[in-house]
Formats: sequence, C-alpha cells, structure tokens
Amino acid sequence: MKTALLTLAALAAFEAAAQAPAAPPAAAGRYAKSQDWTAYPLLLPALGGGRGERLAVRLGPRNLHAAALDVFAADGSPEQRHRQVPVGEDGNAAVAPVAPAKGNYTWVVAREEDATHVTVASTVAYFSNPGKAPTALLREPRHELEIVPERLPREHANYRESEKWGFLVRFNGAPLANQVLKLDTDNGSRGRFLTDAEGRAVVLFPRDFRPAAESRGHGHDHGPPRARFVLAAELDAADKHYLTAFNYSYAPDADRDRSLAWGAFFGVLGMAGALPLLRRRKPFKDGGQIDA
Amino acid sequence: MLKALFPTLARFRLAVQLIMLALTVYGSVVVGHYAAEKISGALPALSCAYDMQNSAYCVLIPTQHQFHHRIGEGIVRAQQVTFQIVIPFLMTVLSFFAFFVVIGKAFCGWVCPLGTIQELVARIGRRFGFGLRRFVPGDLGAVGRVRPVKWLLLLALVFLLPLLAGLGVASHSLGNPYCDICPSRLATTLLTGNTEQLALRTNDGIAFALGAIGDALFGFLLVAALAVRQPFCRICPLLAWNSLFQRLSPLRLVKTPHEACAKCGVCSQACPLDIAEIAQAHGRKAFHEDCTLCGRCAEYCPQDGVIQLKWGPWALFASGREYYKRRVKAELPDGSVKPVRFAAREHA
Repeated sequence: MKTALLTLAALAAFEAAAQAPAAPPAAAGRYAKSQDWTAYPLLLPALGGGRGERLAVRLGPRNLHAAALDVFAADGSPEQRHRQVPVGEDGNAAVAPVAPAKGNYTWVVAREEDATHVTVASTVAYFSNPGKAPTALLREPRHELEIVPERLPREHANYRESEKWGFLVRFNGAPLANQVLKLDTDNGSRGRFLTDAEGRAVVLFPRDFRPAAESRGHGHDHGPPRARFVLAAELDAADKHYLTAFNYSYAPDADRDRSLAWGAFFGVLGMAGALPLLRRRKPFKDGGQIDA
Repeated sequence: MLKALFPTLARFRLAVQLIMLALTVYGSVVVGHYAAEKISGALPALSCAYDMQNSAYCVLIPTQHQFHHRIGEGIVRAQQVTFQIVIPFLMTVLSFFAFFVVIGKAFCGWVCPLGTIQELVARIGRRFGFGLRRFVPGDLGAVGRVRPVKWLLLLALVFLLPLLAGLGVASHSLGNPYCDICPSRLATTLLTGNTEQLALRTNDGIAFALGAIGDALFGFLLVAALAVRQPFCRICPLLAWNSLFQRLSPLRLVKTPHEACAKCGVCSQACPLDIAEIAQAHGRKAFHEDCTLCGRCAEYCPQDGVIQLKWGPWALFASGREYYKRRVKAELPDGSVKPVRFAAREHA
C-alpha cells in the first residue's frame, strides 16, 4: 500500500512537471511580495533569478528607466569584464557569467541620467561556478555616487537579520563621510545609518521576519526564506542630484526556530550512550590490550 | 633540523594534522574571506560549508546538492540535461579527483579535521589510562560487522535520499541528510564558537530528528574516542567515497610478503581502524578500503621495507627495524603511552 502510494506520488510529480507550461522561477517562491515596498531604484531577478545560478540570471530595473544594464565581472578579458546587456521588452536583461565555467560574483548596474539627475541601481548576481574573488571588483569606482558592500556573503551564507555588515559609500571614487544611508526592507522596516570618516556605514539588518513569512522559502528552491533590502544614498553636487541604491537579499536569524537546549540534550545523551565503552576490559588474546 | 623536529612519521603527521585543522577551521583568517571558499572549491574535501566565515565544501555537500537540486529536479524537468546534470556532477567529481590524485586517501589520515579531533581525544584517553576497546572478536566484535555501515550511509544519505528529495518523492528536508547528521559539521563550527549547528530546528520534524541524531552521534564519538580509535571514521561515507578511487591515486600502501608476518600482527594492532588484513595479506588486499594512509602500520612493522607508503614509484616512508625499536619506546602499537596517574600527596 505504502509502495503504491509512493509510486502514485512520484507519477503525480512527473505529471505535474510535464503539464506545467514552464518551471516556476526559483526566485518567485521567495519573493512573492509585490514591488511596492520601496521607491528606491532596484535591480530585481525575473525568470530563473535564484542565487547560485550557473548559466544566466534575468534582472530587470525597477523604479528607474534603463535601456541596458552594465555588467562587471571579476574575471576575463577587458571586453568580458565590462559588458552592456540590453533590457528586453519584458523589462529584463539576461546576465551571464563571462564564460560557462567561470562564476562567482558579478556586479550589475542600471543607470538613468538627465541634465539634473543621475539615478543608479546596483546589485550583485552570483554564479555558483568558481571564479575570481570580488575584492578588486568591489574596489573599482564606476559611478559618481556608489554604495559598495565591504564583503559579500559567500555561496552558502546570507546577510541575516540581527547581523551587522559594513558598506562603503564613495563619491567620485573617494570615501564620503557623514553620508546618510537609508535602508528599506521587503518586510517593511526602515533604517537610517551614517558613514564615518572612511565612508563606512555599519548596517544592522532588522529582525523583521514574521513567522508566516519564514515558511515561504521552503518551497521550490529549498533554501532559507529571504527578503529583499535596498540601501540608498542621495547627494546634491555640481548642480546634479545623485541617487544611488544597492539592493540584495537577507535571511532570518539562524537562531529562529532553533533550540540549543534540545541540541545540548541530545549531545549529552550521545555522550552517556558511549560511557559503557569506557569500562575496563580484560586483556584479549592478541595482546592489543595492555591494562587488566 | 627536520629530523630533530620530526623524529618519527607520527610526529610529522601530527604536525600536518594540526596545521590542516587550523586551516580547515580558521582558514579564512589566513587566506581571506573569498579565497577560503575558492580554495575549498578547488580542494573540495577541505571543510564544511556550514561554517559560513571560514572554509567551505566537503565533497559530500555538492554531491548531495547535485542529486537533490540538479539530478533529481533535472530528471523531473527533463531539459537541459547536459548543463543541469552532466557538467555540474562531473565538475564535482573531477575537482575532487584532482585533489585526490595528490594525496589520495591520506586526506582521511592527515587532513580531515574530524579525524584529527578524534585522534587528539584518543591521546587524552591513552594518557589517562582508559582501556583501549577494539573491533576484534572477544571485545567489540568483528570489524567486518561495522564496515558495511559507511557504504549504507553513502548510498542512502548521500545519493538516494537527496535524489528522492529532488524527484519530489521525499521531503525537501531530506535534501542533504548526511550533512544533517555529520559530526564534522558540528566540530568545525563549534571550534569557531558558533553553536548554530548544535541547535536543533524546532519547526520541522525531519530536521529536528536528523539534527538530534547528529548531535547524539557527535556526543557519542567524543566520549567513545577516549577508548575506541577513530570511532566515526569506521562509518564515514567519505572514507567509502575515497575508497572508490583509492586504486586510481598514486599514493598508496604497499606491502610485500614476509615469512614473519604470519606470527607477528603488530601492524594490525597499530592500525587505528583494526584492519586485520594488513597483517594477513599483501599486495592489493593489504591496502584495504578502510585504510586512511596514516602510516602507523609501516611505523610499527619491525621488518625492513615490508610496508611502504609510496607515491607512484617513490617510497615516502618504509618500515625498518631500527625505526621500530625507537618508536615502541615512546608509544606502544595500540597507541598506549605511560598514563597520567593521580595520587594523594603524602604528608610527613
């Protein structure tokens, strides 16, 4: 009976996959909310936009108009390291690694400019194949006003609520001191941070995941649930208004729905289970035991 | 100079183990945040992805993930077969093999952080006089009864359950079940002061159960290692995985037949995994699937050149009578040393 049920379940899974017009985007399950959580410029994933893709991710500018995205890779020839990818009719652009076997982080920017305003949205796309570390990629200035993470979370890690992470704010490549950095999150939090003399702001990710939202991530892509955040800075200089944003995702605090007490209990239980092994034994014949 | 620092192979191996333990647990301090992951990607049996700041990637993690995310889901979607299945899986296996060619199964005996921790605990056990327990008839039973467990764990927890989770037949909480019970995950994260992995998930019954098994297993082996040498290595699926490729690596154990072997058996007493075959057999059979290439059998063989650690045609270490005499003065073949005794101070 159980076997038959399992077989039926497997067949149903295959059937559902066969009838589906297209596989749902990996990001759709995580980012089920509407886009109205912030007015700042964003670059958001569309179809196949989950983190850790190998082939390509589709990113679209939101809250600004851009005909193309600038894609900066950490590796490859000079032509490969900076590419422009046109935004298609669906409002998204396909961002791929510089070569099929090269991955790691890629910096992506959308820019809108007129006589009085420069608006920049930036994010990173991660491709799970090995590639050059993004240290130099993050150091190079590319726009007038920039928000750059000091350090990006690695493949299996995330920015997480209750954690503090450093971000650098630069203007024309130089650190911008006393600059206000504003934070909006998908979960509705708002924050405000100030850069120090080195242009560094320490951003505390708010503890704002709700229990209902936490179960969202256990769907198609199996990862922890995530919410988006955007950091934005505004500056008036040389008769222009600069607005720059960096958006990415963050995850719940690792301590949520975890019990250290239960973990310690089972650890001690295991230790107790091994105690009989510590009883002394009489020597056995091949002479391996030396104490009687 | 080197001879004074490392008078025995065991001392040299301990130094390598301690350096590798530091590298695998605190590697990012040395090589940098991103480079630690890159090195781990190139040497995929380095350390644990659950330690998010230091090193990452044990070959078992991408293997489970590929069965779960790539192969299982790839079969369901039945598209992009080459990119979804073949290339990622081959990359994992090939990058593992590139590493494996250099040191072969010596990963287990010289690099593995959990192996090192178990050996350090065993040293404490020997120093404090805990009686050694062995997998031999008359004590813990024949070692052959334990050997299949590592294969079952490899098949069930690394291959089958992740695949079934990817196919949608099993719960996604079973996507990486081996990692959920892996004691090395707990050891390496606890060594960085991170208790996150010890804490159990309370909102998912399967995750709670797997975590409870992992924590209990970790507690068990910490105490068991005081009396039983390398308790977890005996059932470790990575040892099974390594043994799949052990004939392909140039680094190997070589034993030539000798008439004294029939009556001696010291090498099998020295073996931390109780491999009786090292005393009874020679040639390919002496390089057993459980061998971690720790070299203790070669150290404790009293016959010149009978047991050797070789890389290709080069002998890295060969047994010898004079070396054996020096070695047993410091430590008996089963690892026993002069124990620490506590006694009440005599008052005048």
